[in-house]
Amino acid sequence: MAAVGSAKAALQVAEVLETIVSCCVGPEGRQVLCTKPTGEVLISRDGGCLLEALHLEHPIARMVVACVSSHLRKTGDGAKTFIIFLCHLLRGLHTITDKEQDSLISKNIQTHRRHWKNCCQWKFISQALLTFQTQILDYIMDHYLSKHFLSIFSSSTKERTLCRSSLELLLEAYFCGRVGRNNHNFISQLMCNYFFKSMACESGFEEVFDLVDDYFVELNVGVTGLPVSDSRIIAGLVLHRDFSVYCPADGDIRIVIVTETIQPLFSTSGSEFILNSEAQFQTSQFWIMEKTKAIMKHLQSQNVKLLLSSVKQPDLVRYYAGLNGISVVECLSPEEVSLIQRIIGLSPFVLAQASSQYEICNTALVKFCKPLILRSKRYVHLGLISTCSFIPHCIVLCGPVQGLVEQHEDALHGAFKMLRQLFKDLDLNYMIQTSDQNHTSSPPTYKTSRESNPLPEIVNGLIQRPSQGTVVKNKGKLAKTQTYLKVYSNLVVPSVELETCIPYSTPKVTPTDTYQTDETLRCLPPTQTRIIDDHEPFIESNSANSVAENTGIEISYENLQVTKIARKGNMLPVREKSLEMCTSQSYCCSTLPAGCVLPVGGNFEILLHYYLLKHTRKCQQSEETIVSMIIANALLGIPKILYKSKKGKYSFPHIYVRTFHALQTSQPMVSSQTGLESVAGKYQLLTSVLQCLTKILTIDLVINIKRQPQEMYDQDSEEEV
Amino acid sequence: MSRLEAKKSSLCKSEPLTSERVRATLCILKGVLTSSYGPSGRLKQVHNGLGGCVLTTSHSSALLSSLPITHPILKILTTSMQNHVSCFSDCGLFTAILCCNLIENLQRTGLTPTTVIKLNQHLLRLCTSYLKSESCGCRILVDFSRPQTLLCLVRSIVTSKPAGMLTREETDHISALVLRAFLLTIPDNAKDRLLLGKSIIVPLKGQRVLDSSVFPGILIEMSEVQLMKILPIKKSDAFKVALFCASLSGDLSDTGEGTVVVSSGVSLENAALEQLLNLGRQLVGDHVDLVMCQKVIHPSLKQFLSMHRVIAVDRVGVALMEPLSKVTGTQPIGSLGSISPSSYGSVKDLCPAKFGFKHFLHLIPNEATICSLLLCSRNDTAWNELKLTCQTALHVLQLTIKEPSVLLGGGCTETHLAAYIRHKTCNEPESILKDDGCTQTELQLITEAFCSALESVAGSLEHDGGEVLTDMKYGHFWSAQAESPSVVNWPDLLSRCGCGLYNSQEELHWSFLKTTRHPFAPQTCLPHEATGSANNLTLDCFTAKLSGLQVAVETANLILDLSCIIEDKN
Repeated sequence: MAAVGSAKAALQVAEVLETIVSCCVGPEGRQVLCTKPTGEVLISRDGGCLLEALHLEHPIARMVVACVSSHLRKTGDGAKTFIIFLCHLLRGLHTITDKEQDSLISKNIQTHRRHWKNCCQWKFISQALLTFQTQILDYIMDHYLSKHFLSIFSSSTKERTLCRSSLELLLEAYFCGRVGRNNHNFISQLMCNYFFKSMACESGFEEVFDLVDDYFVELNVGVTGLPVSDSRIIAGLVLHRDFSVYCPADGDIRIVIVTETIQPLFSTSGSEFILNSEAQFQTSQFWIMEKTKAIMKHLQSQNVKLLLSSVKQPDLVRYYAGLNGISVVECLSPEEVSLIQRIIGLSPFVLAQASSQYEICNTALVKFCKPLILRSKRYVHLGLISTCSFIPHCIVLCGPVQGLVEQHEDALHGAFKMLRQLFKDLDLNYMIQTSDQNHTSSPPTYKTSRESNPLPEIVNGLIQRPSQGTVVKNKGKLAKTQTYLKVYSNLVVPSVELETCIPYSTPKVTPTDTYQTDETLRCLPPTQTRIIDDHEPFIESNSANSVAENTGIEISYENLQVTKIARKGNMLPVREKSLEMCTSQSYCCSTLPAGCVLPVGGNFEILLHYYLLKHTRKCQQSEETIVSMIIANALLGIPKILYKSKKGKYSFPHIYVRTFHALQTSQPMVSSQTGLESVAGKYQLLTSVLQCLTKILTIDLVINIKRQPQEMYDQDSEEEV
Repeated sequence: MSRLEAKKSSLCKSEPLTSERVRATLCILKGVLTSSYGPSGRLKQVHNGLGGCVLTTSHSSALLSSLPITHPILKILTTSMQNHVSCFSDCGLFTAILCCNLIENLQRTGLTPTTVIKLNQHLLRLCTSYLKSESCGCRILVDFSRPQTLLCLVRSIVTSKPAGMLTREETDHISALVLRAFLLTIPDNAKDRLLLGKSIIVPLKGQRVLDSSVFPGILIEMSEVQLMKILPIKKSDAFKVALFCASLSGDLSDTGEGTVVVSSGVSLENAALEQLLNLGRQLVGDHVDLVMCQKVIHPSLKQFLSMHRVIAVDRVGVALMEPLSKVTGTQPIGSLGSISPSSYGSVKDLCPAKFGFKHFLHLIPNEATICSLLLCSRNDTAWNELKLTCQTALHVLQLTIKEPSVLLGGGCTETHLAAYIRHKTCNEPESILKDDGCTQTELQLITEAFCSALESVAGSLEHDGGEVLTDMKYGHFWSAQAESPSVVNWPDLLSRCGCGLYNSQEELHWSFLKTTRHPFAPQTCLPHEATGSANNLTLDCFTAKLSGLQVAVETANLILDLSCIIEDKN
């Protein structure tokens, strides 16, 4: 069964999603209750969570959800805005398609049926989108928008110190959209306190974010049945289990970590223990006992008062621990162990050392270790002495129901993700469209580049080769390309950056190429997702190319994966050639400094809208102009929803006109709302949405199969390793 | 793979609270809860048609956990209440009824959820700060030198659970027992940190309630035959005790991941038994009088011990291990080899005891904070309810010792609080309205909804069709007989207010709870002599009620804030 999959279907899907999502967007948003088949109930305002709870069936909807979740994994914010923006974009496209048809359809289309004609048209639009993204967006961000940015850091000096009040504003705005409206002040205060308490020094805040983000689950304790206002921050680390043996101790407390049972066993795996007599059995048991006793004695002599174990220890060990005044905590999860190791820099204690008489070096001091009772459940409370810039603190989150506690946990975790993202520099790369390279001169360059550069053919070949391989051999190669796609889709944003340095002649050439591959592919026996993804190898090869081109400029960690692909192919020399060509063209790269923020309430959208309009007025290029217009108008959808409930002076038209006026007369903008939001997050959201839209537009056919989906990614990744 | 099924898509419903079905079920739930509230509450019988036991109860935790609730909104409400009850044991019905009332009243105002929630939060803050303040007119500080207050508190809890079917005499007896059991768990010489002991409830069904009693130490139940084997117990002034947590059955311990090869003719069982007997010899040599084991003791070892007049008790179970180690001062022994002498403990006396048809071994400690509450009742259902009641009372006493104040019960706190809130919002609305954009009318509407929700909780204490009133001086709660004459002389008809602090012979003016009245300032600051002299006050746990109030308002806010429900149909 096949359905026409294009912008129209996508618009319907997006509109349905928009109605669901828009009820919980912004400070006025409300909560949504999700039930699970297990009977649990979850309260959420998190867009990603809602979209996943819907279990959508429509293939395009599923693709959108996949795009949203890959965006969320990176930034931890913006799922709802994603859907709204996407919906407005599709709506904008839908209204202009009729007008545009004539201008865009090229001559050789007439031979094809109408459906494919449409597809081709979408293809053009998606190409235009890509061009927009690679050239116009970064340019505008850098040239116009950047002068409006504020910084989260308190001073503009070299040393970056966090300003508490602006962090508070940022967090408050974030939690406004994520937790219930009676709790966002409280939760953002809690988070702010937590952050400033656990930061050892001003400069080490990035490490704190990384650590808290990685070990968030271990650093918070959820308590149900208490009012939210009972949530608090506790100094020290709280382990989610009770002592097996507790001996009150004070003063100099040392701890050790073990990862195996202290009591020696009869036999280890792979060995055999032969018992020849009863006496031997008794002696060996006696030896085991004595050995255990000796180890515990030795630990005591080293002043060890607490034993943290990742496995369950036998009765014997616990007994001797109790006799020697050593408290025992068992069954720690690997994450807890690694968190403790990271905080105090302590490696696990190896038993072989214990037999000898010399000192055990793997011990660490703790300030205290005592039981903590929260809602009649007992926890272990450790006062670790930190050796890194994170001073351990735990958040105790209370709430009347589990669902609410989970919501707060997720929101806090998302906030740490968002901050982590905020403190990274964002690279902007774009072509400078100045007078020396104006549009009249571009056709010639396009031609020369095509002649001088065999790249397009290679691209074409790359696409055709795997697809033929599919027919002839097996699914192996196809699967391979799809893993690349997977890699690619996980790295939406970096690949955008990478693609920006492709000379824009390449995208110009490719539409027809890809279109031809389209044709060839349809002749093939359709294998599952082949046609749905048919445009992907092209983009993939683009990004792969750009990596090679890019190596001199910037290497991000994602490159590792992509260059792996590059190494496989045999077109490396070609790419090096294109690199030279690329650098010869005028192209620009700048950085958005870490910690850029803007006031909330659609400021970013209105600004970008304004400058896009201004920019398009200067250009004549039709496709890009139209796309820019669509994007500029779609951007306004978000502030419209945010100001929906406001009346009079604060209604959307008033705000819009006032901002426009302020910008035209270059006065400072006045924001009606306090609160800040991250520019990098917004920028990434925009690029993610455009990526997603490009993906949607390049699909021409959705094929529904009855077969079981086959796991092909796994085998392939093994092969690659 | 064949079991792998594609997930069905979820069902999405918007504006769930407006649906008629939700309102109806919410109303039914409220009816069930309201009718069980208070000392004269009606009992609920829960059973399924397929057989099984019949539950007769009016206790919130039993009721909420047995009701089959499917609608997600109600599920949120009930889980929230159950979580509250598992934290505080008390005030579950209060919280649930208040929450239902709030949802119903606030929804009827028709204001936007934003306004409702914002103002609700302000009113809640007013309530909590008033209840915590010095001038609060419905809070009494507990004087631990006078146990009268604590006894009143326990008695209020026992009387508010009518499913125990206690007579007046029985109520007094049980209340006194619970208080005694609690006092026994307080250590004599507390250092900087007070660590309470534990009261173990021992069931004895089929006896009269008046036969219940409290013993210091632990009662270990055993069969008559077992007990006869132990008897007679030799007399001494202290018994040396060893407590094992390792199994003494002679089984092999964990041998590791590799293989163990045993040559033929080698009997590990014998070796293990030999080891056990060695252990027995050591115990006898150390003059141990009582050996207890969490798990099983090998019969040969038992035989050996009893030959040497050592009492052996096995299968104690993990639940008793901690109290036992506390009572005897032992350290649970996990080794079958040499035992350190420091891990032995002692008890002052050991004696057999027989209550009803059950036989017990009674361990009397030298000094310990563990006691056993032998709880008797005529039948299973009544016993279960009585046990819940006693657990609640013990927990409430623990909470009270942490936060030494109690609230006036019998509906007086609710009406007093409502009067205070009404007065406050009427006279100083600026303090609430200054920071957000709400109008005074909105505040009035929400206040009315909030206060009438509180008052109708108090009103649901009356189940016999009587009139419910409040006085215009203290803001306390009064209820009158149903068959009141048309010409009313209130001072004669009413005797005491709900909590029993004031009587009707003072110069008071009353007003029906349902009617609107002018806001008045209820008298704050309880007169000290009033609380001291009154002996029969109805009191409520402060911590539980305060948290219940907060949880009820927060849950109501949460439910009112829901804009849609996504139901996963898998």
